[in-house]
Amino acid sequence: MSPQPQRARGATAPGPGVGQVVERFELEKAWLVDPVSGREGPGEIVVTDGVLESVVWLEGDEAKGVSADGVVVTPGFLDLHAHFREPGFEDAETMASGTAAAAHGGYTTVAVMPSTSPALDEPGVLERIRAAARAGGSPVEVLAYGAVSADRAGEQLSAMGELADAGVIGYSDDGLPVRAPKLMRSALLYAGMLGLPIVEHAEDLELTAGAEANEGYVASILGLAGWPTAAEVNAVARDLAVFADALHDEPRARLHLTHLSTAASLDLVRRANAAGLPVTCDVTPHHLAFTDEWIAGARRWSWEALGADGTSRDPWADAALTAWPYNTSLRVNPPLRTPADAAACLAALLDGTASAVVTDHAPHTAVDKEVEFGQAVNGISGIETALGVLLALVDAGKLPLARAIAVLTTGPAAIAAGWPAVAATAAARQRGLTEGAPADLVVFDRADTWTVTAGSLLSKGKNSPLIGRELSGRVLLTIAAGRLAYEDPAAGDE
Amino acid sequence: MTDRQIMTGDEIRRAIVRISHEIVEKQAGTQGLALVGIQRRGVPLAQRLAAAIEEHEGVRLPVGALDITFYRDDLSLVAQQPIVKATALPFDLNGMTVVLVDDVLYTGRTIRCAMDALIDFGRPRAIRLAVLIDRGHRELPIRADHVGKNVPTSREEIVMVHVEEIDGADEVTIGRQDRSAEPAAAGRQ
Amino acid sequence: MSVETAATGATPARRMAPAAPTSWRHRHLIDVDVVTWPEIELIMRTTDEMKGVLARPIRKVPALNGRRVTTLFYEASTRTRVSFETAARNLSADVVSIATATSSVTKGESLVDTIRTLEALGAEILVMRHSVSGAPYLAAEVFGGHVLNGGDGWHAHPTQALLDLYTMRQHLPDGDLRGRKVAIVGDILHSRVARSNVWSLTAAGADLWLCGPATLLRGMDRWATAWSGGTIPGHGRFNVTSDVRAALRDADVVMALRIQRERMQGGLLPSLREYAARFGLNAERVSLARPEAIVMHPGPMNEGVEIAPDVANSGRAVITEQVANGVAVRMALLYLLAGAHEAARGHEAPRTSEAAGTSEAAR
Repeated sequence: MSPQPQRARGATAPGPGVGQVVERFELEKAWLVDPVSGREGPGEIVVTDGVLESVVWLEGDEAKGVSADGVVVTPGFLDLHAHFREPGFEDAETMASGTAAAAHGGYTTVAVMPSTSPALDEPGVLERIRAAARAGGSPVEVLAYGAVSADRAGEQLSAMGELADAGVIGYSDDGLPVRAPKLMRSALLYAGMLGLPIVEHAEDLELTAGAEANEGYVASILGLAGWPTAAEVNAVARDLAVFADALHDEPRARLHLTHLSTAASLDLVRRANAAGLPVTCDVTPHHLAFTDEWIAGARRWSWEALGADGTSRDPWADAALTAWPYNTSLRVNPPLRTPADAAACLAALLDGTASAVVTDHAPHTAVDKEVEFGQAVNGISGIETALGVLLALVDAGKLPLARAIAVLTTGPAAIAAGWPAVAATAAARQRGLTEGAPADLVVFDRADTWTVTAGSLLSKGKNSPLIGRELSGRVLLTIAAGRLAYEDPAAGDE
Repeated sequence: MTDRQIMTGDEIRRAIVRISHEIVEKQAGTQGLALVGIQRRGVPLAQRLAAAIEEHEGVRLPVGALDITFYRDDLSLVAQQPIVKATALPFDLNGMTVVLVDDVLYTGRTIRCAMDALIDFGRPRAIRLAVLIDRGHRELPIRADHVGKNVPTSREEIVMVHVEEIDGADEVTIGRQDRSAEPAAAGRQ
Repeated sequence: MSVETAATGATPARRMAPAAPTSWRHRHLIDVDVVTWPEIELIMRTTDEMKGVLARPIRKVPALNGRRVTTLFYEASTRTRVSFETAARNLSADVVSIATATSSVTKGESLVDTIRTLEALGAEILVMRHSVSGAPYLAAEVFGGHVLNGGDGWHAHPTQALLDLYTMRQHLPDGDLRGRKVAIVGDILHSRVARSNVWSLTAAGADLWLCGPATLLRGMDRWATAWSGGTIPGHGRFNVTSDVRAALRDADVVMALRIQRERMQGGLLPSLREYAARFGLNAERVSLARPEAIVMHPGPMNEGVEIAPDVANSGRAVITEQVANGVAVRMALLYLLAGAHEAARGHEAPRTSEAAGTSEAAR
């Protein structure tokens, strides 16, 4: 039985009711997942005037017929890495379209990267971003990272102190690594002093010059310049070593490695953690589920391309190539890797090496993507499909539902809680189904599917390799901070 | 649908002999004559005509083979019949009287292609046409000089010429369903 | 190989090779990887006939009369472009030539816009050469006609591989490559000729050896290893080595690839002189091959680098034959593509051949 939420009063732009306080919403016989308490099971919720008034767990006969295969309620998701392109690249995405897309994907809080134009390297730009987010009318919370270096040029530190005062939750030059080791060390120290992390895009630019796709069997056949594993591993090793040194000088220094994609680099983090280094990392849905064989035209999930012995299967041998090769929506940094690497990303999620999934949502215009593969910009528009991809893993028995929800909610929140200046802020707040707290939740139906199309995506970025594909877990409702953020058009009909 | 036989092996043989005489008669001799068979079944027919002429005139005329695949005006047939057979014209056709030989004359389009092809090889003094079967329904102003048998047909019918050299037996049949491996041979224009 | 006359009446063995007639069902030809062996044989037979046309006094047939063939070359290449244009003209097609297109990276129109414009101007068959791997697939997605790949980046050069195959068959007994050793020596890493030849020669059953300095073989060993179990239907194994003597020993065919200066990033080779000394096809190395072995090169040659002048001009070198065969092969392909079956005019499923009802492109 699909939920029939009462429409919030006073529908105004951007969408009917979006931004308005949810006056009343009741949901009976749904599967509740509370990653804070660790509890999941049949239950009912009531939202009144924006507050999660009651959470009732059902037992015995009342619980009959309710399973995790139907309507599911979870806390709203937290994305620690997305690109909303405003200011500077509004053709690709704006705060308005980005937050709408986020809500469609079940996200109620998004941390945006400073790769805008101008770069977010001083407070004025942050103010513009906040103003744009407010004007967009979405209740999705937008947080921001400041740039590590001025203009992300990798030479001098950005106005870190001022940015901290203005409320950034960390610093990153994402899209680029912090190239110079000395600058990285200074950044870790200075940011650590401010209680904020450096979020690093680990890439050895010298090894990746001219690279187009993961260096491997597929790139060899397709004649694409290879992106060696060493380029990520090398950069990660350097970052870990510099971080270890920096910690001696500033115990509050924090390093977070974002979108790791190779088994080798995840292993480095695992060992560093075992040795007591407080480094955290995350992985993306596309590195979990897609592989470099997609560039050759395969479209099977990464776990379907893994042989019984843990080695990658050959898509040519398996006649698995069903789509046109060289699809530019598959060009991403870091590149899609082998099925074995994807399996390593999953293993990292399961053993806690990576405690969060981030989307690295990177919308691009058709102009930038509808070109030859080697000339296309990197990036996948993924904030709306992240849940569907994780649910595919759950459906395949690779990831328990509870863990899938955790890496979208409590996992990233815990990472943020590890950053001293952020720990007390909303960014790190517990994401659970807590009675009396402002309603911040997602309702999705695992029994219902939706087809990813240019029309069904709310983001301006249609550069998704999943276009044309059906995903399960249609999002029916997203409430952020007590206000309506997204409502499925069909679900609202009485 | 059953096919009906309209010419037996013997009738074909007699027609070949008659046409071979007609060809020589029209030329008032064998001087300057050459036979060119149109692939596929026109080729063995041209061979047989040359053999018959040799028998009663004592002269072996030059014989060639012509594949008109590259001269067709309908490329959509390429997919079904991409196989090209040989064109071999081992003589100089400038100034020669070339008798084109084909199994079935229908719309006339094949002959038009054959003439175009021939003229790319040289400038014959004259081109004549000998066919085993004329089934009517011309779409171009083309006529045969020598005809083995006139067979009035409807457009739904298929005339199939079988020759021993290719099909293992000599006969001509008419039917409604095309069961041959080479559809063009049967319903060819 | 001479064309036997049909005047004898008996059907020559050469033309009776195919068991079942194959029809041509590819709307585009971007690489040899999707072409089956029977289809390759069809191309070879059609090329035979085109060679027959080229031997006539009038080297022309009206097969593509009124059809428009447009060459769109983003990479300068006079010889290949002229070869395609000659082929098109020999089939009586109208030829439009864009010799030095500027890519969207520098300035100028995007590839997609250029193709849409050309289509509006009547282009039916697009012969494309591009410096970025995969560009023809993008073209094929937006172009309503046929795309014939004249070389894309490092990825593929199907017409070259097919003319190479044709040339090899001309010189081997019965035109049979099975078990014959073919050695390709040069800058394999950056070579679309090498990659396409891997597909066609492993389909032909040849004993293929790719050879070059380790820096220019990167990734190929991984490919050879993946195929070593014979797991790819229709394709056999091949060898990768930097031991040029092992590669050339008892070879039936020796092919040198140009050391492509313009594609080499710094640091891949100490010098061209060192390459010539260690890998160049000189008379001494070529003598390791079988006495009747042929020497091939896709051209243009850097004489003195990958191939010694005396070897390039020796009787064993069939380089000019390759050029002549190139026109015939390209005529055959233009002919087959132009006549591609109506069903193939829709959005062709990119890979699946036998399977019907494949999923549509996920773009």
